[in-house]
Amino acid sequence: MEIFYYALLAPIAGGVLSLACPEKMKLKVVSFFIFLSTVLCLIPALNVLVTGNTISADLNILNGIFGTVKFVIDPLSAFFIAVISVMSFVGSVYANGYLKPYFDKKMNISSHCLFFTMLISSMLGVVSIQNVIFFLIVWEIMSLSSFFLVIFEDNKKEVLTAGIKYLIYMHVSVLFIILAFAFLTIKSGSYDFASFANVLQDNAEFANLVFALVFVGFGIKAGFVPFHNWLPEAHPAAPSHVSAVMSGVMIKTGIYGILRVLALVGIPSIEISYAVLIISLITALYGVLYATSQFDVKKLLAYSSIENIGIIGLGMGVGMLGLAFNSTAVAVLGFLGCILHILNHSIFKELLFLGAGAVYTKTHTRDIELLGGLAKVMPKTAALFLVGSVAICGLPPLNGFISEFLIYFGMLKGALVDSLGMLIILVLSLAGLALVGTMAILCFTKVYSIVFLGMPRSENAEHVKNDVEFSMVIPMGILATFAGLIGLFPQFVLNVIAKSVQIFVADFELPQVVSVMQNISIVLFAFLLFVVLLMLVKKLANKNVVEHCTWGCGYDKPNNHIQYTASSYASPFLSMLTPLFKKVFDIKKPKDLFPKDAHFSLRIEDVEEAYIIKPFIKDVEKFFTIFERIQNGNIQQYILYGLVFLILSLIALVIIG
Amino acid sequence: MIITAIINLIILLFAPFLVLGVIKKTKAFWAGRKGVSLFQPWWDFVKLMKKDAVVSNTTTWIFKFTPILIFATTLFAGLFVPMLGGSSVINMQGGFILFAYLLGLGKFFALLSAMDTGSSFEGMGASREACFTTIVEPAFFIIMASLIALSGNYTFESLFLILESAGGLGILIMILAVLALVVMLLTECCRVPVDDPTTHLELTMIHEVMILDNSGQDLGLITWAAGIKMVILESLIAALLIPTHLLGFGYSALAYVVALFVIAVFVGTLESAIARLRMSHVFEFIFAMSSFALITLSLTAIKLYGN
Repeated sequence: MEIFYYALLAPIAGGVLSLACPEKMKLKVVSFFIFLSTVLCLIPALNVLVTGNTISADLNILNGIFGTVKFVIDPLSAFFIAVISVMSFVGSVYANGYLKPYFDKKMNISSHCLFFTMLISSMLGVVSIQNVIFFLIVWEIMSLSSFFLVIFEDNKKEVLTAGIKYLIYMHVSVLFIILAFAFLTIKSGSYDFASFANVLQDNAEFANLVFALVFVGFGIKAGFVPFHNWLPEAHPAAPSHVSAVMSGVMIKTGIYGILRVLALVGIPSIEISYAVLIISLITALYGVLYATSQFDVKKLLAYSSIENIGIIGLGMGVGMLGLAFNSTAVAVLGFLGCILHILNHSIFKELLFLGAGAVYTKTHTRDIELLGGLAKVMPKTAALFLVGSVAICGLPPLNGFISEFLIYFGMLKGALVDSLGMLIILVLSLAGLALVGTMAILCFTKVYSIVFLGMPRSENAEHVKNDVEFSMVIPMGILATFAGLIGLFPQFVLNVIAKSVQIFVADFELPQVVSVMQNISIVLFAFLLFVVLLMLVKKLANKNVVEHCTWGCGYDKPNNHIQYTASSYASPFLSMLTPLFKKVFDIKKPKDLFPKDAHFSLRIEDVEEAYIIKPFIKDVEKFFTIFERIQNGNIQQYILYGLVFLILSLIALVIIG
Repeated sequence: MIITAIINLIILLFAPFLVLGVIKKTKAFWAGRKGVSLFQPWWDFVKLMKKDAVVSNTTTWIFKFTPILIFATTLFAGLFVPMLGGSSVINMQGGFILFAYLLGLGKFFALLSAMDTGSSFEGMGASREACFTTIVEPAFFIIMASLIALSGNYTFESLFLILESAGGLGILIMILAVLALVVMLLTECCRVPVDDPTTHLELTMIHEVMILDNSGQDLGLITWAAGIKMVILESLIAALLIPTHLLGFGYSALAYVVALFVIAVFVGTLESAIARLRMSHVFEFIFAMSSFALITLSLTAIKLYGN
């Protein structure tokens, strides 16, 4: 356990030390310390994941006013610790290359380093501390440090707006979490998580209420619809490696919170399980729908994170239904899919964010309509981004397929549980997941082909001459390798993850799932072998290949304006679903006989934000203008308020007391 | 077992040419022409494989790699499909998910390859194809899940067995599932009324326009893969229609071969009888599949929980 304390403090130590280092060394120092922390984290984490034993220790801080700080590393925590440490390390290596252009711009690299390390330490704390007060403290440190990371480029107005929006969302989130924990603490009379189990399992209605509060609270962090609005704003604003760590790892702490409470609840009620499943399905569909409609690559990736949180939630929902209907097989498949998808999403989403960052470094734009043809000048980034795209669409032979397969399989098994509701809802969610998958294909073929294929669409893309440096390529390479390994050897990964599932399902047998995975692995290997064989045969056939311009009905001077654009690519699909968007047009029509300039642009706004959040905030504002009269800037009056308040409270005291 | 598997593989690889030949012959028959030989698609293919290729200079390695991948994914997807006597080459739990996702992988690269050329024709085709998939795929999953719920079995092979003993409602479910799969076949294999494979105007094409720039062996592999996909979907329909257990292996194998032929004739007749739909109406046509799928699901629910 001591090792883990060092691991927890190592990143912050690095962050503090980096303050004293010269500009160019800072990130190297930070990376080194995060590397140390990763190694130290992996020792206890892998130990717990392999043996399945829980490690715990009590630490006395503040003379134990709020009880001792209880550190517990059970298989669920160990899983999250492993994911957080490795993914953060990969992100910090990437930062070395990514932040280079900012060195001479007088940007505050020091504070960035410090907050980055604080974020990592606090995330590790969140998943290992099981004491309400200290959990909330590290939770808050996590939210605040990530806020400072988001506003790295604080000279831009939209970055600040996004940052403040994020801050507000996080504090609404913590409000719900505090409320839930306050209920639990009062009922159980203890700050210790473990003591909540009895209270929750005794009273089903109370458990439902607490779970609902927790789901909203942590759901805001995770990005469940309708609490998702901060994500598509904060991610584009933050530097790429921060978006990668936030989207890949930090939002998963929200999922961790929900899973932790779920583990305490034990067997959830049927209604709440259905609710989780349905909200997750809506989240997944909403996320991918908006991802398809976006043209800012990082905003698109943020929406796709919402989609994947939905898929994770679907796994969780299936698992919960399995528990509620007392079907071990369904529960195991659901939770396996849920937990594996957490890992998978952090791998490919981080990969894609880093790839998007690499493109941004070279082209200085996030608007995909201005890009194109980058595969020729940035072959490594292009290949790695392709791996990420295939993986995120859940296609074999990469990792996304495995977790989606588990969830599908769980749904199918669930549909056979003797219940009409389960049959209808699970088959429809199955179709929903298939729809999400095909929409993801639409979305990511759009991004990939518009950014990397075809011809450059603007000067931004034309001027790119070479690929990004190695410190940026290697992290992406590592992530792509992970994606491949999990996709091809799912049976081994499952054995490790199964330990985490034991928290939810007491005893179960894994062999059946593992044998299915083994079959998948064999088929995929045969498939890859066959592809390689075909490539060899084609090479041996050695046919002459002549290069010529693209077919244009005989017109042989194709240029970049003739190409298809991202908006037209997505258009047939989006026009089918018009009512689900708020479209903002900016049109300047050509006029006169010799029209000079014309202009057309289309922006798609989040319908929930436009029709629910904004009107709501307007109403709130209207209400609070009543109090404007009180706030008039006159200090004498403010003193008077204070006096009146004191007198009133004295009177109240007399009357009551 | 192994012999059946090998025969299945041979059918999967070479029946496509015959099926395409039968469609061509049928269309010629309705048009009052003599038509080309049944084996013409095979000779076309052989000729393509001998040719050199012209490749657009805008493209990357993806364009050259895609034909191989499409062929491999389609062939491997085909291995999961029940064919002769209701047996498939690979029979594993949850096989239909891998089946659908392998086809999805092929489609992913087909879309990229089309966009790789930087041609707006191919972009148009790709965008339509991607859009159709979003409608077809969920419906396919609903049908498969309903059949699994009815049969209580997770392998692709045994999915279809239950319907034989299901009685009146079972037959209704089967008819709806077949209708849905016919729509899927017409959409996925780009036949009339969704797409006209013989059209010569780039603007109106879907699948053909995506491969405008492919030539030589690349084109050969893609057409071969398209043919295999046709056989796959025909096999699915055949598996639903043929009561394997009642007929025994020999007769059901014969029935399967006849079914391949009959469905090809049906497609050819359909293409001669009706014109392709306007692009905006194509969506409505494909949505028919979703409704068939949803009705299948409701009937399944009634069948299982009707009492």
